[in-house]
Amino acid sequence: MRAFGYDIDQLVIAHVLLAVVPVLVGLLVALPLGWWAHRSRPARRVLVPLSGALYTVPSLALIVFIPVVLGTPILSPVNVGITLTVYTVALLVRSVAEALDAVPDTITTAAIAVGYRSAGLLFGVQLPLAVPVLTAGLRVASVSAFSLVTVGALVGIPSLGTLMTDGFQQDYTAMVVTGIVGSVVLAFLFDALWLALGRSLTPWTRARTGV
Amino acid sequence: MIEFRDVGKRFADGTVGLESLTLTARAGEITVLVGPSGCGKTTSLRTVNRMVEITSGSVHLDGRDVAAADPAELRRGIGYVIQQAGLFPHRRVIDNVATVPVLQGLSRREARARAAEVLERVGLEAFAQRWPAQLSGGQQQRVGVARALAGDAPVLLMDEPFSAVDPVVRVELQDELLRLQADLGKTILFVTHDIDEAIRLGDRVAVMRVGGRLAQFAPPDELLAAPVDDFVAGFVGRDRGYRRLGFVPATALRLVDLPTRADANGSSGVPEEWTVLLDGAERPAAWLGPDGARHDLGSLYVTDDHDAASDGAGTLRGALDAALSSPAGRGVAVDGQGRYRGGVEADDVLALLDRGRETERSVARPGDTRR
Repeated sequence: MRAFGYDIDQLVIAHVLLAVVPVLVGLLVALPLGWWAHRSRPARRVLVPLSGALYTVPSLALIVFIPVVLGTPILSPVNVGITLTVYTVALLVRSVAEALDAVPDTITTAAIAVGYRSAGLLFGVQLPLAVPVLTAGLRVASVSAFSLVTVGALVGIPSLGTLMTDGFQQDYTAMVVTGIVGSVVLAFLFDALWLALGRSLTPWTRARTGV
Repeated sequence: MIEFRDVGKRFADGTVGLESLTLTARAGEITVLVGPSGCGKTTSLRTVNRMVEITSGSVHLDGRDVAAADPAELRRGIGYVIQQAGLFPHRRVIDNVATVPVLQGLSRREARARAAEVLERVGLEAFAQRWPAQLSGGQQQRVGVARALAGDAPVLLMDEPFSAVDPVVRVELQDELLRLQADLGKTILFVTHDIDEAIRLGDRVAVMRVGGRLAQFAPPDELLAAPVDDFVAGFVGRDRGYRRLGFVPATALRLVDLPTRADANGSSGVPEEWTVLLDGAERPAAWLGPDGARHDLGSLYVTDDHDAASDGAGTLRGALDAALSSPAGRGVAVDGQGRYRGGVEADDVLALLDRGRETERSVARPGDTRR
């Protein structure tokens, strides 16, 4: 589909990839960090405030700062991807730690008592039980990523944000609105997807009735 | 057999959890650790599967020092029942029970088959596909017991397993444990703060005092008859004399004849004295008083002791309770099927108790009276 002189399909695909890949990579990075913060009090004292501080760094600053540090080309989408990964990690470290904290002691004690080792305990008991809290954290990170992707357009990384920046320059309201509505719709679609995924992984949470 | 040899536990902050505990839990018996909170009973229990590492002495399981075993392997060979069941909320009942067989290396299919067997044994097969949250507290606790049994471990550790359920359900769960134990003959170490539970379940009871010191280790009847000191006497309670009757068999008790009528409705006229009304199957239905009214029977004395589920069956406690709770001043005795056998006079029970005191050592072992 073409409109306003752009291939909208291309912009949508770029927008989705730029938002979703960093969220998933960020989740993978945040899992071990959050687990560490859950296990060790000193680690938590460093990791949680540090990740909170990271989130306060302005996105545009990160996007232009990353090529300086990593030597990536200034117009590479990787800069946006890394920025969003950093934000996702910043948001999720705390979520992961709190999700693991929320698993009741009686359950972890029972798991240890029946003979789980720490890996089995984490993957077999703690993580599955952490899914509801983790899903909530992931949804916040995802919505945030879908909106932050648009900032990349300011430095020339294509996404639906491009319609906003270019439409603004051309004083073309319909183009700006299309960009805004499109990115909001995408954010909602993926929010619904994470919600559905989280629910399908936690059938027991809906089994309260029917005693 | 579980042996504690001079076991000490000093926590990192310097507090003493256990001070030189020496105690043997015999194979095939229920050994109860009881005491006030902070007495180290749960700590003791957890030294057996190394959820607490001891700082002196040693713990032996069937002659082997547990310190030499791999902790996770050790735990897979010991059944564990925790307070509030500790079921995994994200696994259906059958998969909760299959947890230990899976950890022991069985395939999921084999483990489920094993779990189904155990669920059938405890009468929970109908709940196999439920989630734990769909069960009542008592049902969850029974699943907890089933999960501990599924690994086929000869040893069970039970940490206040029935303390979170209401008293009626607690007694049911205790009865079920005794029934299972009569079949399975596990070596059970059971922790509770409830002395009644300890006396009900224990073949031998260890009363512990704060600081992890053993105050007395004895069969329940001995604990009730001869507490070693004021602490134990205070802990077993003031009515210990009465409760001890529950361990004295009433085989020598003479049943008296009561006036009876085969007339369950009591429509056959006003009797001169208290009369037991029997139904068509010779089961007592009610008392018919000299006032012409039907009265409640009071508690019945069951003469057979085959059925562990009826408390006080075949003991002086059951007999005395029947006599005291009857409106007629005499209790009604029935057999295991509920058929009328005769009457019980409180005076006869007390006379028997007097004779028992003269030959104190003839007190029956608790195992003889309850199983």
